[in-house]
Amino acid sequence: MVITGSALFIEPGTMDAVLEKLRRFHEVTFHVHSESGTELVVNLEADDTTDLESLCSRLKEEIHQIVDITHIYVNFEDEIERMQAGPAR
Amino acid sequence: MNMTRREMIKLSAAAFAAGALNIPVDRDAGAAGDRIEVDKWVKGSCRFCGTGCGVYIGVRQGKVVGVRGNPEAQTNFGFLCVKGFKGYMSMYHPDRLKYPLVRGADGKYKRVSWNEALDLVCKKFKELQQKFGKDAVAFYGSGQCMTEESYTFNKLWKGGFGSNMVEGNPRLCMASAVGGYVTTFGTDEPAGAYSDIEKARTFFIVGSNMSECHPIIFRRIARRKLKDPDLINVIVCEPRLTSTARIADVWLPADPGTDLAVFHCMARELIKNGWTDKWFIENLCRFNTGKQVVDFKAYVEFLEQFTPEAVEKKTRCPAANIKEAARLFGSQGPTMSLWTMGLNQRTRGVWANNLVHNLHLITGNICVDGADSFSLTGQPNACGGVRETGALSHLLPGTRPVTIPEVRDQVEKAWGLPPGKIDPNPGAHTMQMFASLGAESDAKKPIKGMLITTTNPAQSLPNGHKYWKGMKEAFLVVLDIFPTRTTQFADVILPAAFIYEKGGVYGCSERRSQLTSKCVDPPGEAKPDLWIGAQIAKRMGFEKLIPWNGDDPRTAYKMAWDDYRNCVKLTEHTIFGMTYERLEKSEAGLQWPCPDEKSPGTERRYVRGRDPIMDMPQIVKVPSSARIYFYGDKNHEGKANVFLRPYKGAEEPPDDEYNFFLTTGRVIEQWHSGTMTMRVPEIARSQPNAYVEINPTDAEKHRIRNGDLVKITSRRGFCILPARVVKVSLPGILFVPWFDQDWDRMINRVTIDAFDAGSKQPEFKICAVKISRFGDPKDVADMKIISSVDEPFPVKV
Ligand code: SF4
Repeated sequence: MVITGSALFIEPGTMDAVLEKLRRFHEVTFHVHSESGTELVVNLEADDTTDLESLCSRLKEEIHQIVDITHIYVNFEDEIERMQAGPAR
Repeated sequence: MNMTRREMIKLSAAAFAAGALNIPVDRDAGAAGDRIEVDKWVKGSCRFCGTGCGVYIGVRQGKVVGVRGNPEAQTNFGFLCVKGFKGYMSMYHPDRLKYPLVRGADGKYKRVSWNEALDLVCKKFKELQQKFGKDAVAFYGSGQCMTEESYTFNKLWKGGFGSNMVEGNPRLCMASAVGGYVTTFGTDEPAGAYSDIEKARTFFIVGSNMSECHPIIFRRIARRKLKDPDLINVIVCEPRLTSTARIADVWLPADPGTDLAVFHCMARELIKNGWTDKWFIENLCRFNTGKQVVDFKAYVEFLEQFTPEAVEKKTRCPAANIKEAARLFGSQGPTMSLWTMGLNQRTRGVWANNLVHNLHLITGNICVDGADSFSLTGQPNACGGVRETGALSHLLPGTRPVTIPEVRDQVEKAWGLPPGKIDPNPGAHTMQMFASLGAESDAKKPIKGMLITTTNPAQSLPNGHKYWKGMKEAFLVVLDIFPTRTTQFADVILPAAFIYEKGGVYGCSERRSQLTSKCVDPPGEAKPDLWIGAQIAKRMGFEKLIPWNGDDPRTAYKMAWDDYRNCVKLTEHTIFGMTYERLEKSEAGLQWPCPDEKSPGTERRYVRGRDPIMDMPQIVKVPSSARIYFYGDKNHEGKANVFLRPYKGAEEPPDDEYNFFLTTGRVIEQWHSGTMTMRVPEIARSQPNAYVEINPTDAEKHRIRNGDLVKITSRRGFCILPARVVKVSLPGILFVPWFDQDWDRMINRVTIDAFDAGSKQPEFKICAVKISRFGDPKDVADMKIISSVDEPFPVKV
């Protein structure tokens, strides 16, 4: 399981629309936004980092007001266990 | 409040993210951010590029389990890129080297004890030095070693062995930037800092696909551009329409190696339109042909040949774009230039650096907030570890030339050596060093043994064919964490600890030193480089010179750091005020010059009131009336050189037979030769193999379709890679990333090893090749890594 603390950078004036669309994504938890309304703090949850990448791609595809997604914190302790168990390549 | 562990992690993560963005959070979340879902968070810096992002490493039950950006770090404000988050996972890969290995008579490696391995290395090194002289054994280091490690090996070789045969891979990436700063300003490294990004109005990004190679710096610029698109201007000078060029207001697509003409043309436009700073020109600029000093008028006359139209013909860069770039640069400042390898990895790399500095000097776009001529480093510690400790063949600590008697004298005193111990002659530079490496029986090869650490020259040297035989035949000792193309040639492999398994200092592009503390133990019997270096010193009779040979890394690294601090105490690069205790406490690290423990460090050099060196006559005398003074000026006039460098293109431009430019570089996911990043499954899957980017017009001419295998041939060798038919590269220009270890796709079999006469940095970025369709698409996404030390090199050398 991977859990992030991430920022969604969105186009000015689109926050309400973006928040509405985010409801469709159960893997996304919204917390707080910047004063300008162009930066949203969210958690993203995914099975592993590959799944996280595809979640980000889906978010960008389905919510075109998202300009960029950046992760500021990532917790992936389970992944290390998996990696040590052997090469999953 | 009852919270599950998952909820706790989520709240903590959100609180950290909000903190990094300066967004206030509610009390519960804020408090969660302070709670701990790991055993401890350890402060450090990222090791995957020269940005120097501050991180916190989460440790649970003796394992690294998470990374978060450090919101207080002045480099990244908490943001991290994909490599920063995932790269460290490679430290848990089962391929880690865990035990010392010695190659047996059957060619296979045998596990031995540390004592056996070190005794063998030292016996052989001594024997070679006795038989062939002190310079018969060389050291080849890395911009990824910790500062204390580079300093130690440098001290052992130059102070202990009396040999300047010390080089490192920064010669391949940064040497021209050093040459540029030293020839223009008299001293290395930028005047300003990353903080100029938030104050600049115009950005001039040259020879750098920053969005992939320095993504966090790019994000800082992109954030400004997105927030205020009309106020902020971005100029990108780069032959490919990279993702960096996509945010540009003006794109300058000059053919590889031709941009010297573009820079001169911009200077001409700046002067013609009066976008210059008269005071700066009169008081702080010296016009210089490289042979003689001339006046401003001669500079203006020299520039006359570089009309926009003439330059368009030479470079394919549209004249109108050059004029607009000059307008933005000169009239919409403050302006900050940033560059990396596209400017440095050239036979005219130093000159290219000089000409960018010229633009800043004649417009006064330096030494004020938001304006700087700023070289970005590729590796995390090329600046701090190799440039500043002087771990190159021509330098001593403080980036000072070994040829200067006073410098040698000072270093000899600091190291407690008898006068004359340090060799006054520079050793061999990297390409010369590898060309001189070979068998004991080979009279043409004076270097017989080499210790290589944290780098992979068998893959990263250009025109590799020429150098593999020497590596195979010499006595080669390799320190690394994984098997590589270089370990395939080693006689002895010493397993090294990863940054988070030992700690130490990294110094990033902006003169900032940051300390990483040890987080976890290394696997098996792997050891810190510092311990290995100090053990070699002890066995070779230099324990007094390198006394930090104990087992506790914190103590040993601190001793080495203190020794280094003292050695450069009275230099322009002083770090004397950066004690380990200060660096441990400080969230953001410190920028030199930092002459004493009260000094907050220096954001802007050469400016009175901001740079402490301006008022330290014991280091350099600066007139009391001077507000800005380039104190590195060897003529003691406080001026910088504006160079009238003649135009010269690439060493090997395309011709009728080899009709394409080949340029090489990095991609966002992969780091250097892929040794670490290719072992993170998700990274490997996202970029599993190298490829060749080719413009659709060229592809059509050669009947190449997307995915087809393409043979790229130069005068030196060939590679076979899948095609990516994209408009990113202009017609006539091919791009290949160099991370791939697979034999067919190792692009340095093709690149040229011609080098800059001043900096000795090779021209990786430009050579002439021809192409042909080799075959139908084939799945080459094999994510090649060298898993076993016993896997032989793919060809007989
Ligand atoms: S930008 Fe460089 S230093 Fe920062 S996280 Fe990415 S790789 Fe690490």
